[in-house]
Amino acid sequence: MASIALKTFIGLRQSSPENNSIKISKSLPTNHTHRRLRINASKSSPRVTGRNLRVAVIGGGPAGGAAAETLAKGGIETFLIERKMDNCKPCGGAIPLCMVGEFDLPLDIIDRKVTKMKMISPSNVAVDIGQTLKPHEYIGMVRREVLDAYLRDRAAEAGASVLNGLFLRMDMPKAPNSPYVLHYTSYDSKTNGAGEKCTLEVDAVIGADGANSRVAKSINAGDYEYAIAFQERIRISDDKMKYYENLAEMYVGDDVSPDFYGWVFPKCDHVAVGTGTVTHKADIKKFQLATRLRADSKITGGKIIRVEAHPIPEHPRPRRLQDRVALVGDAAGYVTKCSGEGIYFAAKSGRMCAEAIVEGSENGKRMVDESDLRKYLEKWDKTYWPTYKVLDILQKVFYRSNPAREAFVEMCADEYVQKMTFDSYLYKKVAPGNPIEDLKLAVNTIGSLVRANALRREMDKLSV
Amino acid sequence: MSMALFSSPPLHFPSLSPPKPHLTHKPFLPLPLKKPFFISPKSIDDASSSAAVSIEQEKDEGSNGVLLNSNGSSPAVVAGAPVTETEEVRKFQDARWVGGTWDLKKFEKDGKVHWDSVIDAEVRRRKWLEDNPESSSNEDPVLFDTSIIPWWAWMKRFHLPEAERLNGRAAMIGFFMAYFVDSLTDIGLVDQMGNFFCKTLLFVAVAGVLLIRKNEDLETIKKLLEETTFYDKQWQASWKDETSSSSKDS
Repeated sequence: MASIALKTFIGLRQSSPENNSIKISKSLPTNHTHRRLRINASKSSPRVTGRNLRVAVIGGGPAGGAAAETLAKGGIETFLIERKMDNCKPCGGAIPLCMVGEFDLPLDIIDRKVTKMKMISPSNVAVDIGQTLKPHEYIGMVRREVLDAYLRDRAAEAGASVLNGLFLRMDMPKAPNSPYVLHYTSYDSKTNGAGEKCTLEVDAVIGADGANSRVAKSINAGDYEYAIAFQERIRISDDKMKYYENLAEMYVGDDVSPDFYGWVFPKCDHVAVGTGTVTHKADIKKFQLATRLRADSKITGGKIIRVEAHPIPEHPRPRRLQDRVALVGDAAGYVTKCSGEGIYFAAKSGRMCAEAIVEGSENGKRMVDESDLRKYLEKWDKTYWPTYKVLDILQKVFYRSNPAREAFVEMCADEYVQKMTFDSYLYKKVAPGNPIEDLKLAVNTIGSLVRANALRREMDKLSV
Repeated sequence: MSMALFSSPPLHFPSLSPPKPHLTHKPFLPLPLKKPFFISPKSIDDASSSAAVSIEQEKDEGSNGVLLNSNGSSPAVVAGAPVTETEEVRKFQDARWVGGTWDLKKFEKDGKVHWDSVIDAEVRRRKWLEDNPESSSNEDPVLFDTSIIPWWAWMKRFHLPEAERLNGRAAMIGFFMAYFVDSLTDIGLVDQMGNFFCKTLLFVAVAGVLLIRKNEDLETIKKLLEETTFYDKQWQASWKDETSSSSKDS
C-alpha cells in the first residue's frame, strides 16, 4: 500500500523544485497554462493599483521565514511580525538532508551531523540504525534560534520588512477585497519593555505563529489534539559527550511514554533529554524521570541547564484557511505522527503557501482570493498526505503497547528497513522497494509481533 | 488444561491434581479414563484456570530445584531480596541470565534445550523490567532475541491449545450449517461442496472463527476500523468545510 501511495508522492516531489524556479523568473507562461486548465480567480480579481500586494506573515519560525522570503522574492510587499527574535523553541531540532539543499542552508548552522541512531526497546534491546547511510548522508541537528534567525535574515535580505512586534488580533474586512487590519504591539528599538500599539493594513495574512496561533483563533480555525513535549537540556562531562558526538537515542516503552518515544539528542555542547505524550499529559514529569533513568548510565552526573515544554499538534486544524488568511507550519498542524517531525514541513508549507500567493497575484499585481490559497492546500495535501498517513499507521501499529514496541525495535534491526526509513526521512521520498524484501519484512514483522504478544499474554497471567 | 499438558514434562502428571476440585462435583463419572472426553468443553471455558495451573507448576519446579535455579525461580524471590541490594544494583538478576542473554546450556534437559522454560524465563524478565525499568547500558547490552526460540516451540505452546478450540468450533459450525442447509434446501452434503453459495458460507464461517475468538473481539474490530479512518477524517476536515461553505455562498 505504501509503495502505491508513495508513487504519486515521488512524481509530485520531483516537479516542485522546478516549479518554484520557473515561477520566480518567468511566471507568465505557467499562468497561461493554468488559466486554460481551470478557472483562475486572479484573472477576474481586480488589479492592485499604485502599489504591490501586501501580505503579512505572523510568526518568524521556519514556516514564517520561508514564506516571507518566497513572498518578497515574488515581488510582494511582505511584513514579518515576530515577538521574540532570539526565541529558542524547545525542539528536537533535527532536519532532513534534503532541507539543506532545498532551502540552501549553509553548513555552519548545523551543530551536529547525526549518523547513528540507537533505538532501545522496553526490555533494553538496543539496535543501531544508520549503518546503511552513505558517507555524505546525515541528519542535521540545528538550534532553533540559529535556524530561525538565519531564515528571517534571508527574508529581510530579499526585501521583507521584519517587525519586532506582538500580534494581538485582526479586523476582518467588511467588503470583499478591502484590507485586513492587524493590531500589534511594536517593540522596535525606541522603547524598552513597554511596546507601542500599531496597526497594519494588508491584503492577505499567513499565520505561521505556532501551536497557540492567534491567527487561527481569529479565523475560528478550530482546535487540534496536541501532544505535550517535555525536554531537559543536560550538560554532561566531555567523555560522556563523546558518545553522543554523532549519535541520537530513542527510547520506547510504557515507562517512557504511552504513545510516543523518549529521546536523547545531541546539541551543540549538551544533550537534550525529553519525552512526549498525548494521552497522559498529567504524567509527563513521571515519563521524563523514566527517560532519564533509562539513559542514566550515559548521562549520569550531568547538570540540567534548561527545562522546556511545548505543545505539538497531532493533526491539521479543521480549517486551515479562510478567505485571504492561510495557516502554515505548526499553526496549521503539520507535524508528523510517529517521528514528531515538523521543521521541514513547516518551512515547506510556508514556501508552498507563499508560492500560491505569488502565482495567484501574478507577482503582486493582482488581488488574491480564497481559490488561490486553496491551491496551496490542494497541493500540500496531495504531496504530503501519504507521508503523514504512513507515519500515522506506523505509530498506531508500533507504539500501541510494549510488545508492539519490542517488535518495532526487532524490525528496525533489519538493514532493509533502515535503508528505507533513512531514504524516506532524508529525502522525503521513497524509492520503490524490492517486493521480495517487502514480503520478507512483512513476514518477519508479523512474526515479531506475534512472539512479543504471546509473551505479553503470559506476563498478564503472571500478574493475575 | 491442554496447555499444562504441553508445558510440563510427563513426570509431573501427578501434580495436575489442582484442577480436580472442579470435577469432584461430577461424581457420576466412574472411570477416570473417560474424563478427558467429558470435560473437554469445560476446559475450553476454563482457559484461565488451566493457565493458573501451568504457572503453579512452574513454581513447584522452581522450589524443587529440578529445572530452575532457586535464584530466579519467580519474581517474588527477586523482589524479596534484601532492600539494600535492590537499591544498589536495581538490575534484573538470574543465574541463567549471562552476558545479556539466556544461557541456553542451563536450560538443557536430556541434552535438549527446554524452550518452554526459556519462554517462561523471558516472560518473567520482561515483567520485572516493566515494573522496574532499568537503565540501558552500552557495557552490558541485551543480546537476547526472541527469534532464537524455534517456531515450533511457540507453536506448541501458544497456538496448539488455541487451534484445538478453533478446530472444534469450525467443525461444529460446519456440521450444523451443512445440516441446516440440507434440511432447508434438500441439497445433500456432497452437492453442497460444488455449490457456490455453500462455498461462500464455508469461507465466511472459517474467517469468522478465526477473527472472532471472544465476544470482545467484535468490539475490538469495530474500534480498529474507526481508528484507521480517524486520521483521514481529521485531515479532510478542511475540505468538508470548503464544500459546505461554498454551497452556502452559492
